[in-house]
This record gives sequence, C-alpha cells and structure tokens, in this order.
Amino acid sequence: MKKFLPVQGIKLPGAVIFGLIIFVLLSTTAPSFAHKVNIFAYVEGNKVFTESYFPDGRKVEGGTVEVYDSQENKLLSGTTDTEGKFNFVPPKKDNLKIVLIATMGHKNSYLLSAEELGGTAAGEESANESGQEAAQTENTSPESNVQAVSSGTGAAAVQVDVQEIKKIIDQSLDQKLAPIMRQLVKGEEEKVSPAQIFGGIGYIFGIIGIILYFTKKKAS
Amino acid sequence: MHISDGVLSNPVCIGCYAVAIGVAATCIKTKMESQDLPKIAVITSVFFVASLISVPLGPTSVHLILPGLVGVALGAMAFPSIMLGLVLQALLFQHGGLTTIGANSLMMGIPALTAGFIFHQVRKSNNHRLIITAGAVCGALGTLLAGVCLAVLLVTAGENFFGVAKVALAAHVPVIIIESIVTGAAVAFLLKVKPDLIGVRLKNDRFSPSVSLDS
Repeated sequence: MKKFLPVQGIKLPGAVIFGLIIFVLLSTTAPSFAHKVNIFAYVEGNKVFTESYFPDGRKVEGGTVEVYDSQENKLLSGTTDTEGKFNFVPPKKDNLKIVLIATMGHKNSYLLSAEELGGTAAGEESANESGQEAAQTENTSPESNVQAVSSGTGAAAVQVDVQEIKKIIDQSLDQKLAPIMRQLVKGEEEKVSPAQIFGGIGYIFGIIGIILYFTKKKAS
Repeated sequence: MHISDGVLSNPVCIGCYAVAIGVAATCIKTKMESQDLPKIAVITSVFFVASLISVPLGPTSVHLILPGLVGVALGAMAFPSIMLGLVLQALLFQHGGLTTIGANSLMMGIPALTAGFIFHQVRKSNNHRLIITAGAVCGALGTLLAGVCLAVLLVTAGENFFGVAKVALAAHVPVIIIESIVTGAAVAFLLKVKPDLIGVRLKNDRFSPSVSLDS
C-alpha cells in the first residue's frame, strides 16, 4: 500500500475526480440519458392520449405502443408519430397497461387505472367512434338500452337531461383539467440530478472502501 | 445500450445472471489486488457517470459507454467494476433493469475484457504510439462488441440479429468514434502522467514499478 501513499500516487485520482466533477457540472444543463424511454398517458374526453419521450425531452418516433388490459390481453397496438404521440379510444373500462417498445431493448410501461378512465365511461363510449349522436339508437350497452326503451315517458326525459348535463360538465372539466393533468404526469418524470450522480459515486467509493478494509485486515 | 426489464425472457435473464456472477467471482478471486482497489473505484465511477450524461449530437443525443476504457484500465477487474456500476445505475436511476443486470453486465463486460486482453498484449512494448493506437482501437472495439452482444441478446427476445445489429451500430457510430478518441487520449495522458496505472512499464522508470494488472 505504501506505493499509493506518495504524492504521485494521489495526483492522478485527484485529477480524474476533478475532471469528472467539471464534466458533471458542465453537463447539468442537459442531464439525461438517451438509453431509457418514458411514456405517460392521460385521459381527455373519451380518448387516451400517450406521449413517449427520452428523458432529455427527445420524442420517441415510430415506437410501438401496445395496450393490455388487467388480464394481460393485448387490446390494441400502434406506433407513435413524429411528436412521440399516440392516442386511442379505450375498448373497455379496465386497468390499462400501456407499454412502449422502442428499438434496441428499450421498453417502459404506464399504468392507467380504471378510475382515470372512469369519468368518460370509456367502455360505453368506445362505441361512439362512429359518431356520438348516431350511437344512441345502436348502442348495445345496457344503460343506453334502458334509455332507448323508456324514451317516450316524461321520467326518461329528465334522465336524459341529467345524462347530458353530466356529459357537458365532464367535457369542460376535462378541457380545463387537461393542462394540470399533463403537468402532474410530467412531475412523475424521472430525471437524473447531479445530487444522485454524486450519491452514486459515493456509493462506489464506499463499497470499494469496505472491500479494501476487509482485504487489508485479512492481509495483516 | 442498456436492456430494460421485461425485454428478455426469464430463462435468459436467469442464465445471464448466473454467467455474469460466475465471471465476476472468478475475476475477483483470481485477479483482485488490494493495491488496485482505489483505481477500480475511480474507473467504476467514471463508467457509472459516463452512461448518465448524454451529449447532444446533431438531432439525437448519445452517451458514452466506455467498456473499452474500463477494460484498458482495469484488465480482468473490468467485469466486476462494470457490474457494480450497472447495479447502481439500475438501483438509483432505473437505468437498465434489475432483472437484466446480468445480461447488461455480459453485454458490456465481455467487450471490456476483450479490450483489456488486447491492450495487455501491447502494453509492454516501448513504442508509445503503438500503445496509444491500441488504446484508441480498444475504445472503439469495446462499443462495437457491446452492440454485437446486444444484438445476440435481443435475438433471444425474438428480434432479427442483423436488423438489431444494424440499428444498434448505426446509432452508435458517433459513440464509437468519440470513445475511440477518449480512450486513446486517456491512454496517452496516463502514459505521460502515471504509466503504471495502465500497467505500462517504461524503460528508464524512475519510480519503482507497480504491481502490473495481470499479477
């Protein structure tokens, strides 16, 4: 160990660490790692919007997005556009697992719970793809059936009103809340902070130090 | 060049874990010298940080991987060093995945060992230019081989070997060039400042020769 104690032994690690620190500090303007992908999803209206990006903000172009239900059945899949976006109408109301597969072994997923889909009654509304107005007569969901059957009576008219009001409120709420939702989800983004990097370096030196302690102990 | 959780099948993950731990244990058991530990700590830190910092380059951003440099500097100890770096990257940054640490260690560790082996062949020569060139070649080779290993591993996930290899290597051409320069420069710098750190023994060495890498 004596060889490491003289000045020339300490010089180099010091220089390397100094260089390292400078490198980290210079790079903190864009701390990111291209080898990880993120995906997040939010509900707006009756659609689920997803955005995929690398943590430095670069969008994932042409990544494959697959949607699974809670039983791991694949519901649908698609590819992201140049903005890293992909949106779909959820085929059913369930806990959705949205998986992003980018090239070269990169993969990440986002869980969208049934409650998040809840406001839109996604299961029923998915049939509305062809058009919301026309759907009323063709809709096969039990709720709408009740509506259609009893549409002649006065009670039903009130019910329809309530339903419509609810729909309107939901729509404007979705619109108003969309930016907040987006911000919330963005808050979940994982970014590398310099503090974490230095923490990691500390771990490495700590672990090696412990190994050194025990090997020295054994030797002496 | 990190494989995420859920890409590889379970048997492949477990198999890679077993092989990686075996290789790391062998390296530690046969090649670890307590004198080398501070050096290992520094190089592991460099490897750990290099993967986390991306450099904007044209339309995309790339990050260095540095298996070549780790191999040149640490020889056989490069493998456990890379494994430790990857464990911390996975734990602290979810960079890569916990289940794929074995696969990722092999993917970057094998090129590092290869680079270390090649560098070991030439480092005893007195020709500095040759040593620096070897460093640069090892730097490039490390990343190149990592791309090939990635393709091999992804084949088990059902992807086409040449398809993946082509994409991986095309995306890493700038990285390969940068790493070649970085590793070459690092070797040149170490030759001047502290040659015994990379196991090079100079002819008229004023300092007492240190324990070489392979002893």
